Amino acid sequence: MSHEKTHRESESKKTTITDEELAEVMAHEKDELERTWAHPRGVVGWLSKTDHKVIAMRYIVTAFVFFVLGGIEAALMRIQLARPDNHFLTPDQYNQIFTVHGTTMMFLFAVPIMTAMGIYLVPLMIGARDVAYPRVNAYGYFVYLIGGILLYAGLMTNTGPDAGWFAYVPLAGPAYSPGKRVDIWAQMITFTELSGLVGAVVIIGTVFKMRAPGMSVNRIPLFVWAQLVTAFMIIFAMPSVMLASSFLASDRLIDTHFFNPAEGGDSILYQHLFWFFGHPEVYIIFIPALGFISPIIIAFSRRRIFGHLVLVLSLISTAFIGFGLWVHHMFATPIPQMGQSFFSAASMVIAIPSGVQIFCWIATLWGGKLNIKTPLLFVLGFFAIFVLGGLTGLMLASVPLDLQVHDTFFVVAHLHYVLIGGSVFPLFGAFYYWFPKWTGRMLSERAGRWNFWLMFIGFNLVFFPMHQLGLNGMPRRVYTYLPETGWGTLNLIASIGAFVLASGVLVFMINAFWARRAGAVAGDNPWAAHSLEWSIPSPPPNYNFHNMPVVQGQYPLWQATEDAPVVRGLSTSKREALVTSVMDAEPELRFEIPGPSIWPFAVSLATAVMFIAGIFTPWAFLVGAILAGAALVAWFFGDPNYENKSARETGERSQSVSPPRELQPKEV
Amino acid sequence: MSTRTIIDVSELPHHEFDTYDPVWWGNNLLLAIETSMFAILVATYFYLRQNFTLWPPPVAQLTATLRPLPQLTYGTANTILLLLSLIPIVMTDLSARRDNRRVSQIGLVIAIICGFTALVLRSFEFSAVYFRWDSNAYGSIVWFILGMHMLHLAVLTTEAIVLAIWIFTREYDMKHRVDIVTLAIYWYWVVGIWLVLYAVVYFTPRLG
Repeated sequence: MSHEKTHRESESKKTTITDEELAEVMAHEKDELERTWAHPRGVVGWLSKTDHKVIAMRYIVTAFVFFVLGGIEAALMRIQLARPDNHFLTPDQYNQIFTVHGTTMMFLFAVPIMTAMGIYLVPLMIGARDVAYPRVNAYGYFVYLIGGILLYAGLMTNTGPDAGWFAYVPLAGPAYSPGKRVDIWAQMITFTELSGLVGAVVIIGTVFKMRAPGMSVNRIPLFVWAQLVTAFMIIFAMPSVMLASSFLASDRLIDTHFFNPAEGGDSILYQHLFWFFGHPEVYIIFIPALGFISPIIIAFSRRRIFGHLVLVLSLISTAFIGFGLWVHHMFATPIPQMGQSFFSAASMVIAIPSGVQIFCWIATLWGGKLNIKTPLLFVLGFFAIFVLGGLTGLMLASVPLDLQVHDTFFVVAHLHYVLIGGSVFPLFGAFYYWFPKWTGRMLSERAGRWNFWLMFIGFNLVFFPMHQLGLNGMPRRVYTYLPETGWGTLNLIASIGAFVLASGVLVFMINAFWARRAGAVAGDNPWAAHSLEWSIPSPPPNYNFHNMPVVQGQYPLWQATEDAPVVRGLSTSKREALVTSVMDAEPELRFEIPGPSIWPFAVSLATAVMFIAGIFTPWAFLVGAILAGAALVAWFFGDPNYENKSARETGERSQSVSPPRELQPKEV
Repeated sequence: MSTRTIIDVSELPHHEFDTYDPVWWGNNLLLAIETSMFAILVATYFYLRQNFTLWPPPVAQLTATLRPLPQLTYGTANTILLLLSLIPIVMTDLSARRDNRRVSQIGLVIAIICGFTALVLRSFEFSAVYFRWDSNAYGSIVWFILGMHMLHLAVLTTEAIVLAIWIFTREYDMKHRVDIVTLAIYWYWVVGIWLVLYAVVYFTPRLG
C-alpha cells in the first residue's frame, strides 16, 4: 500500500513519463499485481475461480468433450445406416441417439463454445482486466455443466430423450412420451438457456463498459461486434425456448394444457415458440463464427479489411432478419399463404447480408499478399461449404420445394452444410489462430494441413450424398431402410466419409495435446496481428493488462505511435478495472471487479435442485427457489473485502483526463 | 525511447449512478430478457384465444355464468396498491441519489410492506380467475402470467428486504446507494409490466 501511494504521489505531479521510467515503475508493481490477481488454491478455490480466461477455458474444454460425444453418436448412426436392413442399433436406441446427438451439438456444443470464445477473447480485445460480471459468468458455466451432465446421465440410464432435438408435441407430450425422457430434455434446455442468457448479459455489459480508452464505437473490432450482436439475439430469442420447455414440462408434470388440443391448447404453438428461438439460434451459432473470420483474414492477408462498416451493418441486419424467418421451419403446417410468402421472401432476403460479407472478405483477400496457414485454410474451406449450404437454403426457402423435401435427408445435408461449414470450420480456424495466445505454444502446421484436408474431404463425403438421398425420398430419423430403395451405395459413401471426418478431428486432438507440451514457443504476437490480445504475453497474466492500453485506431497494434499515452492510477493492491463510457470509451470509474467466490457454485447447485428434482415433483421449485435465495443472500453479504474504502468515495466525478489528440487514428 | 503522456485515472470515483455503473447495465439487460419473456407470454395468451369461441370458456356448472370473466376486485386493488408503492420507491430512489439515509430507510420499509401486501392480494387473484391451471388452456396461460409476475414480486420484495437490512445495519455507502437506485428501476419495471398484464388478463376478455 505505502509504496503504491508514493508512486501515485510522484506520478500525480507528472503528466508525462519516459519509457525507461515506465519500465521501472512497472517492474516495481508487478509482484503486488500478481498477488492481487492470484487464483485461489484447493478444491474450494478451484470452484471459486472467476477469471474470465479460466471460466472460458472450462467452457471450451467441456463443449469440446460434448462435441466429441456428439460425434461418437453421429458415428454410431452412420454405422447403423451404412447398409440397408442393418441391426447394429435397435430403433429405440437409434431414437435416443439421434435426439441426444442433435441436442448435444446445438445446446451443449455450438452455443456454449461460441459464447466461451467471446468470454475468453472479448476482454482481451477491448483491453479489459476481466469481464464486467465475473461471478455471474462463473455461475453460467456451472449451470451449463450440470445441464450437460443431466442429459448424459439420462442417456446412460436408458432415459435419453427420444423425441428429436426439437421435441415436437404431441409426440413429446404426456400422452405419447410417458416416463421421464422428455422431462430430462426440457430441463436440460432450461439449464443451457439460462447459461446462454447469463453469458449474453456478461458480454454486453463488458463490451459496453469495459473498453480501453480510445476504443470508441467505430473502433470496436469485428470479432467483438459479432459477439455483441449475438448476445442481443440471445436476449430476445432464448426466453422463447425457455417458455416452450417450461410449458412442455408443466404439461407433463402438473397437467397444464398449453399443448393439449382437447382443452383448447395448441401443438402448433409449440412449434412457433421453439422456432422463434430456433431460427435465431442458427445465427447465434453462425454470427460469432463470422467474427472469427475477419481477424483471421486481416492477419493472413496483411491488410485492413475491406468495408469495415458494411461488415458491421451486415451483422446487425442479419440479426434483425434472423428473427423474421422462423416460420420457414413450419411450411408443412397449416400457415396462411400470405404468411408463407412473407417468410419465404425473408428467407431469401437474408442471403443478401451474408453475400455482402463474403464479397468484402474476398475483396480483402484479393489484393493481399496471402500467408496461407491453417487458420486461413479453414476460412477458405468455410467459403466453399457455406456457400453450398446457403444455396440449398435459398432452395428450401421456396415453399413448394420445401414441401417436397420436408423431413428428408436433403434438409439434413443443408443444415450440416450451414452449421459445420458456417461454424465448425471457422471455429477450427479460430483454434489454430488463438491457441498460441491461450497456451503460449504453436499448433503444428503440418498436422494442421492434415486436419483441414481430412475434415474438408470427409465432410463433403458424408453430407454431399445426402442431398441426393433426400431428393430420392429418404426420410430423416428412420433407423433403417430396405435394400429395394437403392439408397445403400450413397449411404455407404456417407458412412465412410464420417470416419474420414472423425479422423480429422482426431488429428486436431493429438496436435493440441502434443503442442501444449512440445509446440514451438509462440511469443506475444506470432501472426503479427493487429488487435489488443496480441500485445500481452502468451498465455496472458491473470490481470491481462498491466497498464490499460490506449487505443488509437481500428487496428490498435498497427496504429500505435511511439509516444502513445499510458493509463496510470489503477490500484495494484485491489482488483481494479477501468470503466469507460458506452460510446466514446472515456474513462469514468475505477471499478473494483468482484474476486473469487464460492457462492456462484452454491447458487448453481440450488438451481440444480430446482430443475432436476423438478422433473419429479413441483415442490422442488419452491425448495430450490428458497435455497437459491439463501445462497444469493449469502453472496450479497458474504464478501469481506467488498469495497475499496477510500477518501475519494464521495460520488463526485472528476474531470475527464484523456487528451483527445493522442487518441486520433494514425494511418496504417 | 520516447516520452508518453500519462492519462491519470487515480482520481476517478468507484461508483456512480445510472449508465456509469456496470450494475445498472446488468440489471437492465436482465429486465430486457424478462420483458421479452412477458411479451412472448402475452403473444401466447392471444394465440391460444384463437382456439376458443368464448374466452374465457363457459363453465359447465349451472351456478356459474356463461362468461366467467376474471373478477376485478383483487386485481384492481393490487394495481392501485402497486401504483401507490411508487411513492415510497421514488422517495427511496431520490434519497439514495441525495445521500439521505433516513429517507431511504423509511421508503424501503414502506415499499416492503407494499410488496408483501401485493403478494397476498396476488394469491387471491388466482381464485378470482374461476379456472385452475389444469382446467383448460385458458386457465394454464392466465395462471402462468399471474405466477410469473408473482415470482418477480417475490424476488423484488426479497431484494428490498436484503438491501434494507444492509442499510440499517451496515454502511450507507456509494456502492449500496447505487444498488438502491437499481432496485428502484426494477420496481418501476415490475409495476409498469403489471399495468400491461392487468389490461391483458382483466380487460381484453371484456372487450369481447
